[in-house]
Amino acid sequence: MSKLLKSKRQFFVFSLLTIFLGMSQPLFSQIEGDAANGRKLFKANCASCHKLDKKLVGPALAGVTERRETEWLVKWIRNNAELRASGDADAIKIFEEYNGSPMTAFPQLEDKDVMDILAYTIAGDPKPVVNTTTGPTEAGSNESENAEFILIALGLFFVLLLALLIKVRNTLKEVKGEAGTNVLEDASAFTKWLVNNKVIMTLGTVVVAVWFLSSLYAYLMSIGVEQGYQPVQPIAFSHELHAGQNEIDCNYCHSSARHSKTSGIPSANVCMNCHMYVDGSEIIDPATGSEKYNGERSPEIQKIYAAIGWDAENRKYIENYEEKPIKWVRIHNLPDLAYFNHSQHVTAGEIECQTCHGPVETMEEVYQYSPLTMGWCINCHRETKVKVETNGYYEEMHEKLKAKYHGEDITVEMIGGLECGKCHY
Amino acid sequence: MADNKKYWTGIEDLANTPVAQKLKENEFAAEVPSSTEFLGDKESLESSSTSRRDFLKYLGFSTAAATLAACESPVVESIPYVIKPDSVIPGLPNYYATSYFDGNDYASILVKTREGRPIKVEPNTDAKFNASTNARVQASVLDLYDSNRLKAPMAKGQETSWTSVLEEVKGELLKADGKEVVLLTSTIISPSTLALITKFGEQFTNFKHVTFDPYSFSGKLDVYEEIMGERAMPTYSFASTKLVVGIGSDFLTGVTGQSLEGAYASARKPGASMMRHIQVESNLSLTGSNADTRIKVGASDQFAALVYLYNKVTGSSLPVSSIKEGSLKSLDNVAKELIAAKGNSLVLVGGNDANAERIALALNMALENIGKSIDLNNRVYLRRGNDKELYSLIDRMNAGSVGAIITSGLNPVYQIAEAKGYAKGLAKVGVKVAFTDRMDESSKSMDYVLPVNHAYESWGDAVPASGVYALSQPTIKPLFDTRQFEEALMSWVGESGRYYDFVKSTYKNQYATLFGKGWNTVLHDGEASISSEVEAVELPEMDLQMAAAELAKIKGGKYQVAFYQKQGMGIGNQTNNPWLHEMPDPVSRVTWDNYITISAADALELGLTNEHQSDGALNGSRVNITANGATLENVPVLVQPGQAFGTIGLATGYGRTDVGKAGNGVGVNAFSLMNGQHFANVDIVKAEGVHEFASVQMGNTMMGRKIVNETNLDTFLNGSVNDWNETPMFHTYEGHKNSDETNLWDDFDHETGHMWNMAIDLNSCIGCGACVVACHLENNVPVVGKEEVRNFRDMHWLRIDRYYSSDTTEETEGYEGLGIIGEGVMDRFAAMELPSESPEVVFQPVMCQHCNHAPCETVCPVAATSHSAEGLNHMAYNRCIGTRYCANNCPYKVRRFNWFNYQANDDFANVNPAQDDFGRMVLNPDVTVRARGVMEKCSMCIQRIQLGKLEAKKAGKMLEDGAFTTACAQACGTGSITFGDVNNKKAKVTSAKKDPRAYRLLDEVGTQPSVFYQTKIRNK
Repeated sequence: MSKLLKSKRQFFVFSLLTIFLGMSQPLFSQIEGDAANGRKLFKANCASCHKLDKKLVGPALAGVTERRETEWLVKWIRNNAELRASGDADAIKIFEEYNGSPMTAFPQLEDKDVMDILAYTIAGDPKPVVNTTTGPTEAGSNESENAEFILIALGLFFVLLLALLIKVRNTLKEVKGEAGTNVLEDASAFTKWLVNNKVIMTLGTVVVAVWFLSSLYAYLMSIGVEQGYQPVQPIAFSHELHAGQNEIDCNYCHSSARHSKTSGIPSANVCMNCHMYVDGSEIIDPATGSEKYNGERSPEIQKIYAAIGWDAENRKYIENYEEKPIKWVRIHNLPDLAYFNHSQHVTAGEIECQTCHGPVETMEEVYQYSPLTMGWCINCHRETKVKVETNGYYEEMHEKLKAKYHGEDITVEMIGGLECGKCHY
Repeated sequence: MADNKKYWTGIEDLANTPVAQKLKENEFAAEVPSSTEFLGDKESLESSSTSRRDFLKYLGFSTAAATLAACESPVVESIPYVIKPDSVIPGLPNYYATSYFDGNDYASILVKTREGRPIKVEPNTDAKFNASTNARVQASVLDLYDSNRLKAPMAKGQETSWTSVLEEVKGELLKADGKEVVLLTSTIISPSTLALITKFGEQFTNFKHVTFDPYSFSGKLDVYEEIMGERAMPTYSFASTKLVVGIGSDFLTGVTGQSLEGAYASARKPGASMMRHIQVESNLSLTGSNADTRIKVGASDQFAALVYLYNKVTGSSLPVSSIKEGSLKSLDNVAKELIAAKGNSLVLVGGNDANAERIALALNMALENIGKSIDLNNRVYLRRGNDKELYSLIDRMNAGSVGAIITSGLNPVYQIAEAKGYAKGLAKVGVKVAFTDRMDESSKSMDYVLPVNHAYESWGDAVPASGVYALSQPTIKPLFDTRQFEEALMSWVGESGRYYDFVKSTYKNQYATLFGKGWNTVLHDGEASISSEVEAVELPEMDLQMAAAELAKIKGGKYQVAFYQKQGMGIGNQTNNPWLHEMPDPVSRVTWDNYITISAADALELGLTNEHQSDGALNGSRVNITANGATLENVPVLVQPGQAFGTIGLATGYGRTDVGKAGNGVGVNAFSLMNGQHFANVDIVKAEGVHEFASVQMGNTMMGRKIVNETNLDTFLNGSVNDWNETPMFHTYEGHKNSDETNLWDDFDHETGHMWNMAIDLNSCIGCGACVVACHLENNVPVVGKEEVRNFRDMHWLRIDRYYSSDTTEETEGYEGLGIIGEGVMDRFAAMELPSESPEVVFQPVMCQHCNHAPCETVCPVAATSHSAEGLNHMAYNRCIGTRYCANNCPYKVRRFNWFNYQANDDFANVNPAQDDFGRMVLNPDVTVRARGVMEKCSMCIQRIQLGKLEAKKAGKMLEDGAFTTACAQACGTGSITFGDVNNKKAKVTSAKKDPRAYRLLDEVGTQPSVFYQTKIRNK
């Protein structure tokens, strides 16, 4: 079925192209604009409602120049309400076709700007340059594999060499008429000497014991410390893309971090604020240079649609849809016995998210950056200065604290940040 | 470190194997016998095939297994909302103003919800009427999560759907219309509901709505109906009252509906104008415990005392039956005091007798109290039952003239004595429909049992008193397939739309102009009120001669039983609520029981005893009691100081058989002996066997020590502070010093930052126990059940000690401080332990005193309990290894040890709400649920302190006094608990600390507590 649809679509595009090439030569020649500038303007002003190849809030704009007169288009883009008010039949028809949702007026756009945008609708996106060189990440992983292989080969080589030397030595001894020594005998003689040497034995025992105890201690202390924990999430969500490349503020999605003890995993309706328009079909795979999902919607983004019941074809929410909550895997797990409040740190303490969560904006897949141990908490409380000067809460307390600590910087510790009951209750 | 780990994403599969599931459900894979069973049974020990070596092997293996199991962290899922409601921010509470009425208690409240779950009830202090919560209202949120609630409608024993059952019932009702169709309800105060009932009744040719209060006030209401033209009670006021005389009236517990404890406490502020309280009663009630002077009379003599007082005050000579000699002199004095306080007094009579109410009204009129302390224009509508109509209905039911009966908010089979014939009559009714929350004693014999929403799932309106209009709103979606009674009525009368719209239109059409507020404002505030609009009432002529003659006819037998409501159980609407069972009775300090209270003299005569076992637990005799033709067997006996001779007390609300796992079979049903009146003649016969009580207090007196400091008003006003509140001094080489100046340790810096203190005014504490339940809710305090309470392992973070005065004092016994050795010394102490027969009673809430030099901190081997710069004693549960040194070293005995894993151990499945999926929803997510083997205690609601500070920091403002308070202080209806920062000079607690009444508990120990008390002043 989908194949059939696809071929149908291809046929449709093909026939459009034929018509376009055959008939619209004169129209085409009317539009002279800078497609590159047009692309910028398009992304800034139009992209939230329009795409070139697909219906979004408004119609697909590829080939719009051949469907409409340029003059009409300019009028429409500048101020479509005025055009509709003038009784233009086409304008009213389009308005009604899109359920009477009016398009924003753009009176600020110059004629040239409009021409640039229209030129962009003809030219389309520039094909990205295909990157054929091997990525540095792959090289890195190869390197470590190679090193291991070389080490093993070298080891084997030395073992072989040793065996060869012993053989040669024994052969020489035999030639001399002496009895060849056995490696095992040599080894047992050496062991006897070693066992009888009390100094070496004592030192050895101490070394082994210290090593054993220290590794046992390290092992026990690592129990429950999940630093580096990087579980596979139900949706391959990239913080690198959202927070890094697109520079979305952490608080946009994790809005409750400012108000509440939990940072709040965004509910699907927050995702939909953007993903109602961004469905992933435009993502270009840097490796191949072509569209990552062949112009289809991203399967990851579709998981959000499935959760909330968004009908992407008809661009509306499905009525009476049984919501399917997304079961994210929690990465930062504090034990229940410790009370942690995000707003305390984010709003009152004005701490950056990255202080504890690490460079999330570079993480394709988030992992636990900090150990989240009590020692780590305490350490930070010892070092972090309290905003005594700027926060009105400390107004009265500040003077007393200054007198008590003789003008030293006031750390969290000094206002009781190390007391048990501040976190354990 | 990170490299040596494997992370399983598919661990759910691993974790959900049947074995893992089983292990998760049970604390132990196989049942482990409790310590008494295991160690006490010699046979089972000897017959066991497990040798000591085997035991050690198992021990080693399980330790290794546990260690290994602990190494792997489970995968935790985090599931956000798909569409987050605007008003919900996960981790922050929402509050909804609503009103609560269950037919007995009315309160204007705020319901705190977290992520959509109601978890706490708080008083709506902006409301005008009943803006305080008692223990039952506090505990009501747990009833919502009661897994014994009926979860779907039932038609003739079969589960069915609402649409079909409503249609079926309507058809049946219309068929039954030839005969009478009756709606039997508890008191209804909702104008919308009443409008719907009227509409519903219009569909039938012969419809009757009968209202019934299980703990009846019908007799009194008859009188007020004559006077005021409607079934209502007057409101009482203590604003200008100098003397209140209660005659068998337990008015402090709100039995008439109006909460009076707040007004009572403010009228009794120590000072020249402090109100005096005299109580004449038979049971030692909570109200009587707070009286300045208490006069014991038998139950039926209460009325005689009333008439006697009337005669004395007015000089008339109404017929009066004889009163025992002893009390006459005291009554003469009361009469004198009443005359002296003319115009500024109030006489309240208890019971349910119309004639007594008439004489009380006449007495108040003679004392010029009407219009002052008794307001007949502002009325309370919370009691409206009509016993005459009920009894006539039962007669008609038995005659077979009732075709259909619908009950709502009632459990008549349990609440009406069998002799009345309700159950028999019910069998003759054609169609029987019950709106109820569970398959209770009555529902079992009904054809259709329709489960109703809990109050916190429902819309509603209420006119609890004149000039007050309150709304109630749902705070959670119905948990089960339940509906409101009103929704069913709407469907039967063909009213379309939701009940919400109906309530809204009722307000808009009938009340909006009167109250002058918009719907949304009233919904937000929970209540709207205006001053009275009711016309002044003239008291009609009453035939007092006849009334007194009728009263004189009441002949008390040798023994009488007086029925009372306990603070915990009330009339038994919440009998499946373990918090209320676990809350000790304020006076008797007994949990999980009702019993007869009897005077020591009567007990001696009948051969009844109370004995403490060697472990301190209390045992009592049992009796069979017969009253009004019904007999209760094996009723436990508690010898109660202050009980009138010849009268026994018995609390209602117990003895339910079909209420649920926590309440079934606890106590006996007092309603089965009741005949509309609040007392009856009774025959007492000693029965076989011994009853085991779970009492939380062994010592009943203070043994002459200054634990509760009290003095009388005269000394307080005219004496020097040292006469009545002497600070203990220490002899040092530098002279006499007080405990603050005599330190073994260095002081903490308590000048910088906050210093949390709590003041407890013993003068206004009435001992009601609302704080105890509030503390349970707020702090996830486990319920441990009767057995463990009997073992003195109750977990209350806050207890209210009750002390009786003793006739024997150090002085009378010639105690000279010579120590505890010597001939006869032990007898002397034993004598001091005995409370007197007419004791004075004091209540003292005790929680962790947050000592600044805490004895517990110095003995903890692992530093699990430590001091904070803000004056608190912190407890880090996870650090605690359970040595219990701290509890042993605590002079206040406020530390509690978790002997069991109460939220998972099967032995506590019936009592601990955290053991089922619904009950768990009530847990406060901001407070740790403690594991077995750790110590716990009052944290001074540190979660609220931390949150309060955080809110101030977020707003960038200094912390204001009263911005937040502890759960106990908030629940206190008399304002006796004050919490705050003593480094804030404007704080209330700072001025309380400077008050001369302030003293610290066991100050001579030198612990320097952050909690301090205010001396109790008796007005005598």
